[in-house]
Amino acid sequence: MGTTASQLRKDLLSEYQELTFLTKQEIILAHKRFSELLSKEDRNVPTPRVPMEKVLSLPELKSNPFRKRICHVFSTSDMKDGSLTFEDFLDLLSAFSDSATLEIKSHYAFRIFDFDDDGTLDGGDLEKLVNCLTGETDDTRLTTEEMRQLISNILEESDIDKDGTVNLSEFQHVISRSPDFVSSFKIVL
Amino acid sequence: VDSSSSRRGVVHRPCSVMLLVNPHSGKGQALSLFTGHVQRMLNEAGVPHTLVITERQNHARELVREADLSQWGALVIMSGDGLLFEVVNGLMEREDWEEAIQTPLGILPGGSGNALAASIHHYSGAQPVSSEELLISCGFLLCKGLVSRMDLASVHLGSSPSNPTRLFSFLSLAWGFVADVDVESEKYRHVGAARFTMGTLVRLASLRVYKGRLAYLPVDEVDGEEDGQSPDSPRQNTAHLTFHNSHSLLVPLDQPVPSDWVVVPEEDFVLMLAMYQSHLAKDLYAAPDSTLDDGLIHLIYVRAGISRTALLRLFLAMEKGTHLANNSPHLVYTRVRALRLEPYSSKGVITVDGEVVEYGPVQAQVHGGIARLITR
Repeated sequence: MGTTASQLRKDLLSEYQELTFLTKQEIILAHKRFSELLSKEDRNVPTPRVPMEKVLSLPELKSNPFRKRICHVFSTSDMKDGSLTFEDFLDLLSAFSDSATLEIKSHYAFRIFDFDDDGTLDGGDLEKLVNCLTGETDDTRLTTEEMRQLISNILEESDIDKDGTVNLSEFQHVISRSPDFVSSFKIVL
Repeated sequence: VDSSSSRRGVVHRPCSVMLLVNPHSGKGQALSLFTGHVQRMLNEAGVPHTLVITERQNHARELVREADLSQWGALVIMSGDGLLFEVVNGLMEREDWEEAIQTPLGILPGGSGNALAASIHHYSGAQPVSSEELLISCGFLLCKGLVSRMDLASVHLGSSPSNPTRLFSFLSLAWGFVADVDVESEKYRHVGAARFTMGTLVRLASLRVYKGRLAYLPVDEVDGEEDGQSPDSPRQNTAHLTFHNSHSLLVPLDQPVPSDWVVVPEEDFVLMLAMYQSHLAKDLYAAPDSTLDDGLIHLIYVRAGISRTALLRLFLAMEKGTHLANNSPHLVYTRVRALRLEPYSSKGVITVDGEVVEYGPVQAQVHGGIARLITR
């Protein structure tokens, strides 16, 4: 990759601009912010990785209820630890950018909500999704009965082939009807 | 000559019933629901009827506007609320609207937005039911042909305050989190009622605040005509009175609201819902105290600051109509005769009876019992 902490090569910048939905300016800013997250030792490593906890400290991600899943989905780490290289980071920002298409966003949203990574959204995934939204503590979470009612509502609305899970196309179909989805699925530095 | 009119109670049928169907409604099932259930029921009950299949948006509205209403004993909509919206507005756009709006209207659920059908079913005292049972129950009510009065609200909006767009609404006015767009097909734009979908959860993740100014005329304040009258008492003669004096409750949008109105001090909201019937959707029992012609607008709004959990709980409770008993500090419920909303946020959605309307200042007033609906 050959990036240094201080500068992004021009040819790489052009390449990244072509490969992502990001503008050159956005890429340069991303590079700066990414470098700030690197520890001193990592700065001279050829393809450094930022550990997940550091990524989660970014203000733009800190209050996102799905921040951990986001890191896992975009991480290319063999260790499945949610760490991000610069290119992983760019992929993340690209999918969440203003210019990304509805199809890209809904595709990634699906992967983010698929907590067990098995390719469909089942009751277990939906329950984890809702728990991300309601918070960590017992008094903010829904009761078992409330959760059951909610999941049954969602499945009734979204599970078109009635197999008890929501697959990618059912998900994309539902999301396409939500006008705020694109604007709420956004992370801009 | 209609020999079966003697069997039919209050609906006077010199001729037949016009049945309007949107073939795209309710996942395209409306037409097959008709041939599967309704047609048989109507034939067995000896109700002569003519089926009109609407071809595009506003087809029904134009048809009703131009129709010779003396031919039709009733207009029945077999579709979602969107088609009834067109029919009501088509009738009110006529020169002879005062008589036209007295044409009995019927609704059979066949579409995605069946809030009015759900409300009617609820008013008849029956237990909550499935879609098919709802259809059959409404079909029975239709065959019985009994007519009740129904409230309508006039809704004024538009960018030129001196010449506002005026719509008539029979169900609701909504702003904020509840408005959700459902683009069913290129021919029809129907806004599905607020339901819990995946999209709702996603939007809950970035719960936004809608800024605006809300003001209303509370029920006790209307001078003269309502003194001593309970909301449930019949209002035969006041219907015309309220309509002709419609501007006595509303002032033009570019003027401040009258001094007897209440202005809500907060300007940050999550949602605002003005209902004149009980149901916002089959599973959203939003205004449990509402009746068909109580002459009231049930105003519900949720202030910003509510947690996601509390909002989720609210919608879950709304399925059973228990949300008002929850005592959520962010939820306010009050009965009003008129209201005005001036949104400040540049982006947002306002719906009237589930239809998206022009975004901007809007005000509404209830007209008690002005329409007639086939129900018990």
